[in-house]
Amino acid sequence: MNAIAITNLTKRYGAQLAVDDLSLAVDAGSVCGLLGPNGAGKSTTFKCLLALDQPTSGTVAVDGAPVAPSTFEYLAYVPETSALLEKYSVGDHLEATRRTYASFDAARAAELAATFKLDSKKRIGKLSKGQRTAVALVLAFAIRPRVLVLDEPASGLDPIFQRAVLDLIIDAAAGGACVLFSSHQIGQVERAADSIAVLKGGKLVLRGEIDDLKGDEKIVEAIFPSDAPSPNGLASDPRVRRIERAGRILRLHVRSDAAGVAHELASFEPRTVDVLDLGLEDIFLGAVSDDAAYSSAKDRA
Amino acid sequence: MFTVDPRSGIPLYLQLIDQIKRAVALGTLASGEQLPTVKALALDLTINPNTVARAYRELERDRVIETSPGRGSFVRSGDAPAEARRAGVDVAEGVLSDAVRESRALGLDARILTTLFERALARWYPEERDST
Repeated sequence: MNAIAITNLTKRYGAQLAVDDLSLAVDAGSVCGLLGPNGAGKSTTFKCLLALDQPTSGTVAVDGAPVAPSTFEYLAYVPETSALLEKYSVGDHLEATRRTYASFDAARAAELAATFKLDSKKRIGKLSKGQRTAVALVLAFAIRPRVLVLDEPASGLDPIFQRAVLDLIIDAAAGGACVLFSSHQIGQVERAADSIAVLKGGKLVLRGEIDDLKGDEKIVEAIFPSDAPSPNGLASDPRVRRIERAGRILRLHVRSDAAGVAHELASFEPRTVDVLDLGLEDIFLGAVSDDAAYSSAKDRA
Repeated sequence: MFTVDPRSGIPLYLQLIDQIKRAVALGTLASGEQLPTVKALALDLTINPNTVARAYRELERDRVIETSPGRGSFVRSGDAPAEARRAGVDVAEGVLSDAVRESRALGLDARILTTLFERALARWYPEERDST
């Protein structure tokens, strides 16, 4: 079953369209990385999903039901900017969470606080940005949630603690939890997540399992003895995302069937044809680049 | 025991399959030996558990490993030498294919490549040359 189901979600703020007809489902035991440039609609999506904001249209469901106060007994949310109380200590926050959540695991909380080297006597006001993030993560994971929504969960953390966050996400997913998290750090997403959803201007522009995307999205590069020809027909081929021509080199960014496209290119008699793999960062950048502007700039070059 | 590169454009589960087949071919993983659990390997490599599970499923389909519910995953026993040999052929084919692709991209023709291949054979299989 989809632990998280967002269906045709649209959110307007006045004239501004923040989320545009977004449908996104994440299963129990799966980790989805939500990627997109700043202002793409990630945080708005989270707010609507958690009923912290009212969708203009569309529906959201967690574990098959609309979000209700009882949802938060098993759903943990770590917002981008922490919702901690400045005057209270780390220990006060743990105690408040223990009283609120029946599922609070005190041993786990102590273990997590030690992992992030948190001093329970320290007031939130005295903590760095990274330490605040760590407190929010400890509180979130200590209730052993079935659904986790994390907005930039490793922001402000050093590389060692960032790795600890990935371990927490992986451990939770292995235990059957559903995780939806946003990050600007592709390196975290390609490790912890099994799928990605890419937003651009409030719209979903790419969705899929990371390994499937890596298997499908390729660059077919052909080198010609003289100036590369215009590969007529392939420009409008659904397998081809965009074409770049620079001197004797022709590069086709394909979304599927690289071998088939490479085979067809052979009829233009290039000297060599090569299929190149794309890392997740390239795939992401390809999805959010302004296609038309990108290829015409390359053509002029 | 295994290493994968999440930054690479090669799907992680394929990298893992390749690594495990390599370990079986080399005997680093013996016939009947138990593999780490999905969760343990995911945490060890810091990669998503579904990715590890997908690699294990494919390896099971390829009859390299077998999984029994509640006990875990094991390198298939029985025809282990044949399995390992087949796994070795898979790995070698992949490596050779990459090398040929690279050479072609460098503009080398098949004739030069054949010469290079024979030179490599002579270096690493001296006993075969002596026997013919």
